[in-house]
Parts: sequence; structure tokens; C-alpha cells
Amino acid sequence: MSQATYSLSEDQLAVRELIRRVAREKVAPRAAAIDRTAEYPHDMFALLKDLGLFALPFASSYGGTGSLLTACLAVEELGRVCYNTGYLLVVQWTAFGALVAAANEEQKARFLPGLASGELRGAFSITEAQSGSDVSGIKTRAERAPGGYRLGGAKIWCTNSDIADFVLVAAKCKDADDRDSINLFIVEKGTAGFTVGRKEDKMGARGVPSCPLFFDGAFVPEANRMGAEGGAGFRRVMEALNTSRPIVAARAVGLAQGALDHSLEFVKNRNAFGRPIADFQGLRWMLADMAMRTEAARQLTYRAASLVDAGVEGEELASAAAMAKCFASDVAMQVATDAVQLFGAAGISNEYPINRYFRDAKVVQIIEGTNQVQRNIIANMLLGRESRR
Amino acid sequence: MDLRFTAEELAFREEVREFFRTALPASIRQKCVLGQRLTRAELKRWQRTLYDKGWATPAWAPTWGGTDWNPVKQYIFKEELHLAPAPEPLSFNVNMIGPTLIAFGTTEQKQLFLPKIASLDYWFCQGFSEPGAGSDLASLRTQARRDGDNYVVNGQKLWTSTAHFADWCFLLVRTDPQARKQQGITYLLMDMKSPGIAVRPIITLDGHHETNELFLEEVRIPVENRVGEENRGWDYAKYLLGLERSGIARVGVSKMRVRRAKALAALVSSEGRPLAEEAQFRERVAALEVELKALEITQMRLISETSAASNAPDPKGSILKMKGSELQQAATQLLLDVAGYDALEYDREFLRGEAAAARAESDWALTIAPNHYFTRHVSIVGGSNEIQRNILAKQVLGL
Repeated sequence: MSQATYSLSEDQLAVRELIRRVAREKVAPRAAAIDRTAEYPHDMFALLKDLGLFALPFASSYGGTGSLLTACLAVEELGRVCYNTGYLLVVQWTAFGALVAAANEEQKARFLPGLASGELRGAFSITEAQSGSDVSGIKTRAERAPGGYRLGGAKIWCTNSDIADFVLVAAKCKDADDRDSINLFIVEKGTAGFTVGRKEDKMGARGVPSCPLFFDGAFVPEANRMGAEGGAGFRRVMEALNTSRPIVAARAVGLAQGALDHSLEFVKNRNAFGRPIADFQGLRWMLADMAMRTEAARQLTYRAASLVDAGVEGEELASAAAMAKCFASDVAMQVATDAVQLFGAAGISNEYPINRYFRDAKVVQIIEGTNQVQRNIIANMLLGRESRR
Repeated sequence: MDLRFTAEELAFREEVREFFRTALPASIRQKCVLGQRLTRAELKRWQRTLYDKGWATPAWAPTWGGTDWNPVKQYIFKEELHLAPAPEPLSFNVNMIGPTLIAFGTTEQKQLFLPKIASLDYWFCQGFSEPGAGSDLASLRTQARRDGDNYVVNGQKLWTSTAHFADWCFLLVRTDPQARKQQGITYLLMDMKSPGIAVRPIITLDGHHETNELFLEEVRIPVENRVGEENRGWDYAKYLLGLERSGIARVGVSKMRVRRAKALAALVSSEGRPLAEEAQFRERVAALEVELKALEITQMRLISETSAASNAPDPKGSILKMKGSELQQAATQLLLDVAGYDALEYDREFLRGEAAAARAESDWALTIAPNHYFTRHVSIVGGSNEIQRNILAKQVLGL
């Protein structure tokens, strides 16, 4: 394990302070309605746009801070009050990061300034009905056509797709030797043969829509393929995604902290048996455990992010990032579950904020590589890949 | 201790099983399998079937409609009901107000209410909790004053589940504000058609309407609808909450869920092979089944210890409530993990079992998340698990 330690810089503290204040004043009052109506929060997107956060994790040449740790702080503070608003940021970063990793200069010039300013919105799509965690099982195909490709197939759970100006779509191509490779294509809104299906109603993360995508011979010009055919571009993007995994962990830390914040407020004001329930030792210990776990998740997350910022790569990073994602989301689930219990019957009513955290935490355990997949990554580092008979 | 069933008990089990096989409508059974929510009409229809068979209220005193089965037979019946799976009889009626009236009601009340409670002609809801009185129920503030032959009730009740379905409500009100808080409470039966009752829905985290807020303004309740004596309501309620706890373990429900998780895990693939073949999954199922078996035996033991004559609630029932609710949650968690991604989608129509809703092969997954979420309530209601720990510490451990 590398000796890297971290401390938050003046700039990072300033970013955290700013976002914490905005989150409390402007985002928190909207959080419940975003969850209830499951309508895309245009006002929150506009707010993030005004704050200029869409390039935050990326190099200063793109208008960012070049720090994943800073990005984590931002997501944590937003997620603490509203998971969905934090998610808007992450969705934009995902498309941004993919383009930075594998797009050519012309493509970058075409899309990155718009993404950075918020004039453009992107989405990213791999998952299909039969292949979630198992990426190699995708069936969407890109067939060669004059000047480009024709895409055929279908995707599910594509977040942000009904509002995005373009979607980065993973599809298989055959090379001259009939071998498959997965490549990424930039599919622009309005492309004939490309339709975005009905918005899925979701149990959690309700404010940012997910939809199925359908490709029926949708034409994508060669200029919209990312990287050379043969899968190199896709691999670079997947590496970049792995590198950014601490951001997912930070969303979970935000959820855990937010659930703890609400719980503390609640137990101080709720009276039973003649005193605030905050005076009962059984509950005080529960809250101490919640705080302890949240802080442990936070440290694991910050450290993983600091490794990225220090340029650590490969197995060491992959393992640290997997631990952070898996641990932080399991903690978020545990803390949110305890929070529901602390709220009593109010915990299961939609008229109180807390069950939103509970539903959103479950989502983080599943998305971006399920926690089972994260455990596989960690176990493979420890033991090598398992042998299959 | 021999826990095997006797030949007679096995024959009884076969009889019960056969009844569920033939009497339970297929459409209702299917909804139970899929974990879909039942309508008022469906529950009433099923309860009527049980009533006509004479099996609506096995645990009641035989004079008032009980079956006089010994604890083992009662256990077998409940287990088969859960595994059928058939809808559970409405707890408010069968486990709560019925036994309370049998213990404390007047003969007139028993004759009037008990048959209709058993058949679900009268659907009861429970008017106990209030905004400031949940776990600390004795702090309730809804007031009733005497006015001739009536009580006049003003106040607010909260978490009144199925109030929107109910014909009647068993209600705790404060009749003596001066007395110590446990001593000024009276137990009333309120006709839900009385003027002055407003029911406001509360949507819960599964997106479903199950529970409500109840506003009571100058509601008149005839004195003859008082249970027992004025200002003694707390004693009756305590009796009832003890009964609620012993019925709340729901071992059969958890068993059914684990069974279903196993069946579904054979259909779900994990890295190219059925999830059911994964060692970790199998261990988890095994651990859960061991715990369920332990709870089941504990429940049998407590049932046989409780003398049928006294029928007094045992504080050890708190163990069943606590452990039973934890295992219910663990079983829905297991189902949720089996469903994985497929559980993320929310489909209200499917949850309600509306005919038009079913669409795809993996639709079975659609009720799993809402039911898992809603199952958080079992560690909260009926005295939260924290309250149960207090009861255990004080009344069982003597701390």
C-alpha cells in the first residue's frame, strides 16, 4: 500500500464551503419535490451551470481543478441534501471524462466546451437487458456503411438520455477477421433510427431520468467513432471510468452524512417518555455507529481520490477505488436503514425526507459495478482470478 | 422435546393444505406469490371463505368462534396459510380487537361485533398512535368528554393503517386529563361513518397508500361502544399490544420468501451460471433458514408455555417480534439481491396487481423493491424493536 497521505488544500476547503452553503440554501429546499415528482430538475441544472462545476475534476485546460478529490467534495456536499442534484453533476462528468479519455481533438473541440459550460448535455450507455455487470455480453452492433456505421440494438437504463444532446453508445463491430470489438459511438439527438423510450419509473435516483434506447439502422458518421476501430477507445474510457469510481463512493458518503444530519435533527426534537429521544443511550450508540461508519467511508473515499490525484494507476488504484465504492455504499445503506428506524413510523412516510436516502442508497449499491463486482475486483487483487473448472 | 408432528397432526396438515389448494381463488394466490397488494374486496372475499369454513379465527375462545385447536394445530394452520400463499387475515380484526372484546367486552358487544369481526363484515382499524404519541403511546392527547349517552371526541390520530377501508376503529382517547397519563385513557369503538371523521392518506416509501392520518372533530360515540371501564383503556390496550407482538413473527411469510428467492435464483444468472449455484448465495440462504428454524422452535416453545386458559401475553413475545421482524427484513433483502438491476424499476400498476400491468418475463422483480422497502415498517410498528429491547431488559432479564 502506498504511503500517500492527503490533506485538503485551501482551494478544496473553499470549494467545499461554497457548495455546502449553496446546497443548504438552494438545493435542500427542492430535494423532496424532485424525488416526489420524478421530474428533471432544470432549476438545479441551471444552478450547477451558474456555479461552473461541469469541468471540475478535469485539467485546468478544460476549465477544471484537475482534482478528483475536489470533485468528490462537491458531490458529497450536494448528495448530502439531494442525491439527484449531485447526480446531475456526475452524469455530465461521465460523458466529459469519456471524451477526454478517448475522443480525438476534433471531437473534443466539438463537444467539450459545450459540456463544460452546460450548453450541451451528454449521456453514456452500455447496459442492455441481458448484460449489466457483464459488459462483454452486449448485443448492440455497428455495421459498416458508406461514410460511417449503422447501429442496431437496444439499451436500457440510460441515465439522462431523454434530455441529452448526444449519447455515447457502446456497440460491437466486426473486424476483417470476423472478431468482435466494442467501440463507442457519439450518437447525436435527432439521428434517424435512434429513439429514446419511455422514462422508467424508479425506486431511487428518481430526479434524473433513465430510459431505454432503440437503434434501428441509426447512421453514425465515422467522425463520431471514438478511437480507432478495434476497441482501444472503449478500453480507455472504461479505465477512465474506473479511475473516477471514487466519485461514486463520494455520492454514497454524501447520502450517509445526509441521513445522519437528518437523524440528529430528528432525535433532538422528538420527545417520548418525557424527554427528547436523543437522551436514550440505545439511540445515542446507534448514532455514534452511524457517524463512525460514515467517517470511515469518507476517509477511504478521499484516500482513493487522492491516489488518483497523485497519479497512482493500475491494481493499487483499482483495489482502493473498489473498496471505497463498495464500502461507502454499504455504509450508506446501513446508515440510511438505521435512520429510517430512528424516525419511527415517520421513517416510512413519504412526508418525511429520510426514506429518500434509504431508496437512493440502495441504488448506489447496485449501479456503477455492483458491490459484488467490486468484491470480485478486490478478491482478484488478493488471490488472482478464480480458476473455473 | 419431540418436535416432529404426530400422525394426527400430519393428517390435519393434509386437510388444511387441501383446503387452501381448493378454496383459495387462483387470482388471489397469484397476487400473493408475486407480492402484489390486495384490494379490499379480495381480502373480504377470502376472509368470508375462511369464515364459512369455520376457520376465520382459530385462536379465539371456542364459544366465540375459535376452533379449539391445540397450539400445534394452530401453528400448522398458520404455516400452511403463509406457504399457500394465502392472504393473512386482517390482524386488527383477528388478533387485536376480537380477542380484546372476548376478554373485556360486554355480552352485547360480543354478540354484536364478534361474528362481523370474524367475517370481516366489519373491517376495523387501530386508532392508537398520534403525532406526539408513538412508542410513548400513553402520551396520547385525543380527548373525549361525556355528553349524556355519548362521548364527544376531538383530536388527531396518525399511522392509521387501512382507515380508508375500515368500517370501525378501536380508539384510545383521554377521558381524564388530570390523572397519571396511563390512567386517564378510555377504549372506544368508533363507527367510521360517524360525522366529524376526516381520513387523509399518507403515502409510504413504497409509493403505496396503506396508512392514514385521522382527524376527529366533535365525533359522537355512544357510551355503549366503550370497551370495559372508563379510564382503564390502557390496561386493555397493553393486553392487546402483547397479543399483537406474539402474532408478528410471521415465520411462514419469511419462509415463503426464502423459498421464492431460491426458486428465482435458479433463473437468474450470475457470471454465466445460475445464482443459486454460487457458494456465497447458498451460504446466505442456509444461514437464514437456520435462523428461521430457530425462531420457529422458539415460537412453538412460547406457544406451548402460554397456558391456553390464561391467554395472557408473555413478555417473551418481544423476542418473536424483534427476531421475526429482522428475519422478514433479511428475507426481502435476499429477494432484492436476487432481483438486482431488475428491481430498480418502479411500476405502481404491477404492485397493485392491475390486469393491464404485466409485460415481461422479469416482471416478478417489480414488487420486490417496494415490498422490501415497506418491510422496514415491521421493526417499527407494534412497539419498535428498541421498545421491545426495553421490555426484554426489564420484564424478562429483570434489569
